[in-house]
Amino acid sequence: MYNPATMAALTATRKRELRRALEAIVGAPGVLSDPDELLVYESDGLTLFRALADFVVFPTSAEQVSAVVGLANRERMPFVARGAGTGLSGGCLPAEGGLVLSLMRMNRVLEVDYENHFAVVEPGLVNLHLSWTVGPRGFYYAPDPSSQQACTLGGNIANNSGGPHTLKYGVTTNHVLGLEVVMPDGEIVWLGGRTREASGYDLTGVFVGSEGTFGIATKIVVRILKKPQAVRTVLAVFDQIDQASAAVSAIIARGLVPAAVEMIDQLTIQAVEDAFGCGYPRDAAAALLVELDGLAVGMEAQAARIVEACRDAGAREVRAARDEAERQLLWKGRKSAFGAYGRVSPAYMVMDGVIPRTKLPYVLRRVNEIVAAHGLRVGNVFHAGDGNLHPNILYDPRTPGEEARVVAAGAEIMKLCAEVGGSISGEHGIGLEKSDFMPFIFSAADLALMQRLKNAFNPTGLCNPGKVFPTKKSCVEVGPVAHRPHAIEEKGLAQRF
Amino acid sequence: MPDGLLDTLRATVGPANVLTGVDLSPYVVEGRTPDAAVFPGSTEEVAAVVTLAAGAETPLVPWGGGTAASVGVPAARAGIVLDLARLNRLLEHEPGDLTATVEAGLTMAALQAALRGRGQWLSLDPADGERATVGGVLAANASGPRRHLYGTARDLLIGVTVVTAEGVVVKGGGKVVKNVAGYDLPKLFIGAWGTLGVIVEATLKLRPVPDAERLVCVGFDRLKDAGAAVRAVMGSDLIPNAVELLDAAAAAALGVTAPGAALLVGFDGLAEQVEWQCAELGRLAGALGGREPRALPPETWPRLAAGAAGPGAVAVMTFSVLPAQAAELMEQGADAARARGLQTAWAAHAGVGVVRATLASEAGRLEPGPVAAALAEWRELARAGGGQATLERAPLAVKALVPVWDDPGAGGRIMQRVKRELDPKNILNPGRFVAGI
Ligand SMILES: Cc1cc2nc3c(=O)[nH]c(=O)nc-3n(C[C@H](O)[C@H](O)[C@H](O)COP(=O)(O)OP(=O)(O)OC[C@H]3O[C@@H](n4cnc5c(N)ncnc54)[C@H](O)[C@@H]3O)c2cc1C
Repeated sequence: MYNPATMAALTATRKRELRRALEAIVGAPGVLSDPDELLVYESDGLTLFRALADFVVFPTSAEQVSAVVGLANRERMPFVARGAGTGLSGGCLPAEGGLVLSLMRMNRVLEVDYENHFAVVEPGLVNLHLSWTVGPRGFYYAPDPSSQQACTLGGNIANNSGGPHTLKYGVTTNHVLGLEVVMPDGEIVWLGGRTREASGYDLTGVFVGSEGTFGIATKIVVRILKKPQAVRTVLAVFDQIDQASAAVSAIIARGLVPAAVEMIDQLTIQAVEDAFGCGYPRDAAAALLVELDGLAVGMEAQAARIVEACRDAGAREVRAARDEAERQLLWKGRKSAFGAYGRVSPAYMVMDGVIPRTKLPYVLRRVNEIVAAHGLRVGNVFHAGDGNLHPNILYDPRTPGEEARVVAAGAEIMKLCAEVGGSISGEHGIGLEKSDFMPFIFSAADLALMQRLKNAFNPTGLCNPGKVFPTKKSCVEVGPVAHRPHAIEEKGLAQRF
Repeated sequence: MPDGLLDTLRATVGPANVLTGVDLSPYVVEGRTPDAAVFPGSTEEVAAVVTLAAGAETPLVPWGGGTAASVGVPAARAGIVLDLARLNRLLEHEPGDLTATVEAGLTMAALQAALRGRGQWLSLDPADGERATVGGVLAANASGPRRHLYGTARDLLIGVTVVTAEGVVVKGGGKVVKNVAGYDLPKLFIGAWGTLGVIVEATLKLRPVPDAERLVCVGFDRLKDAGAAVRAVMGSDLIPNAVELLDAAAAAALGVTAPGAALLVGFDGLAEQVEWQCAELGRLAGALGGREPRALPPETWPRLAAGAAGPGAVAVMTFSVLPAQAAELMEQGADAARARGLQTAWAAHAGVGVVRATLASEAGRLEPGPVAAALAEWRELARAGGGQATLERAPLAVKALVPVWDDPGAGGRIMQRVKRELDPKNILNPGRFVAGI
């Protein structure tokens, strides 16, 4: 077990020694230990939690990662990998002090095989940069988190990230073939590879989604897909939110699997229209943005089925984007919702839960009731096609007691998701934020099995301690809940869904 | 088996649900007869049986349809067969959610029939659907031709209930199609060959049955040209649901006449999409020496899943290589066998680089030496290109000479640790899997 004593401040001498040892591995410019510099790394996209590292290091190779991890083991210091720090569950925080390994200097595309449709990349590569690299040859990387202009493939692997188009194409795990991993004891191993099947247990499959607790990925083999021939985007407008929910199931019942089905409720539409004017009707109770992609042949026929399903569900207006400009405008409305909330509320907190799609009408009603009962407002904009809710609770951090009500409402929403047979996270992960909610959906026996699996990878517990499982002890500071926009949001680079 | 265990098992699941003696003939694997076969009727009974076996440190062999029972390293101790045939219910199917929850002993065919009645299907089409059970298919990570588009069990299993080696009922994943809460336990049990836990329930993602589907065959004079056509298809706008490459022997076994090789491609979707794609395939393949495409009857699909099966097959090896290397492996592998006087048949899910070969000797007579030498050379061919090979079926004399599983490398040690954590007494299919697991 790690030594919790490291959570106590290191003595100046010891700190100097450790710094020298780290510099010997990654070079002096690759080590941060000055508290002012460390502050940048004290939280991720969920600013609710903060924890300060003793050192942040910037390795440039698997060997350096391995050497740093080896040192951490000898010194019994906890360590955690960090990508772009856009996570929304506190996953990359040094919850018990120690080392943060930033992978941002390992950001190369190492190999692209267009014939066999895969790429080998380093973990610090920004998600969108992969699609940029392979785009000119007609390929792309399918999982598209809204943070894709900033988040890294390493973070995506750890959190098994999703995005709007994962409805049809699957989430990160469905696109990962193999990983080179620095194990928590420093050993460098390959899990999986470039081919579809590997000998033995699917360790790649269990590593993806392990939230940085099974080791540090240093090379990633992902599938790349051919860009579709054609894309069609349809907007359906509803006077009742129940109708929009029912339309989601109706689309599926007609045997269609769109690339994306996103829902936007009235509060969000109004905020978006006030801010950007994207062409959503302000008086609509909800709108669905449905995207189809694939062959050009048959696209019209499929779009017609979508239109019909929405009409039958009671849509008052259904129209297809006439051209790429109108399509982009509609997506801008969907994606700029976060920025727009800023205009109607000083702060908000994003929830992430999943429910069976057929439960949407009931759950959305309940979400609104729960939030209202706490005297708060909520905007919903989410991946309706796969039942992945993102209620955004609006509040004012300056009003005493309001943050606590947000947190309480959030917990009730998570309970609700669990009660209807859903999950407490569809894409943001458990991290620090939801570890105490795990018992909502998992029994003690379920958690014990997960713990055993963790022991097989990370027996000392030094690798990213304090995450996923309900924890006893950490140095994390909680609150005030005040939402601070993430740097990439401030720059207008991404939206929070 | 320890004294008294049989009585306790009978008391647990009812005397009629414990087989012994001559009744065990269906469970004889590679000449070895188990001590008993037990048919629990519920998850609780599975847990009770596992607890009893664990207490007595008696090995357990979880059993579905028995279609892959002989895959793996021959067992050192026979142990007790845990047959899940009575756990065969479709527990939940909500079409609007495109998910279903089933018990592990349900056969694939029964599941597909029930789903099809409501316009949906599980997009997994392994061989022997009439006998293979959902639990067995998951444990063996079995798949079929449509994996080209729809992936394998890892892309479809969203929740799993297992009975651990200590008899505890544990759930992983959930019932929703998107879920990142906790570790991805479903992945752990797929392809684990029953060595980490007994799968008792599974929740799966479904798909709507497409309007239309067609399987077409393009004949080629040379395998090389068919391989080039595979690459052309992969680089095109086509969205096939299957891309199968068969050498002449495999094609003949399937009842398809092809001079040198056959490329079988499946399409689904709207009728007009299928139509357009078939025409486009004809154009692409024609330019590379392909004959006019012709449609094959739908009954061909399940036989494709079984792969090439030449007459008098004595061994089957499956490979995972880069898709672009499939045709070359097939040619070189056939040459290597021919040089030893052995006949082969090769078939590939070429678009995903999964190749399957059967090896036959004259009149089905077996000489382990040359057979083993050919298999070892095949494995080397696959490994040279970064791939791997599994000896899926072979007589014991051959298995004694050629390892069943490929070397998992440094990952093998992690696998051993996983096994020790989950099955500390080593009672679940001991010794059957990789790295001595
Ligand atoms: C504006 C905004 C929008 C977002 N939209 C989406 C969305 O649409 N869908 C979605 O799923 N998520 C979304 N997110 C969440 C977040 O972007 C994802 O979780 C992303 O994958 C995190 O990547 P990162 O590089 O920032 O990782 P970090 O936040 O740095 O780390 C996340 C986790 O990954 C681990 N990790 C990082 N690198 C490695 C590695 N090499 N090996 C092992 N573990 C590693 C860390 O330890 C940590 O546990 C959004 C976040 C923001 C701020």
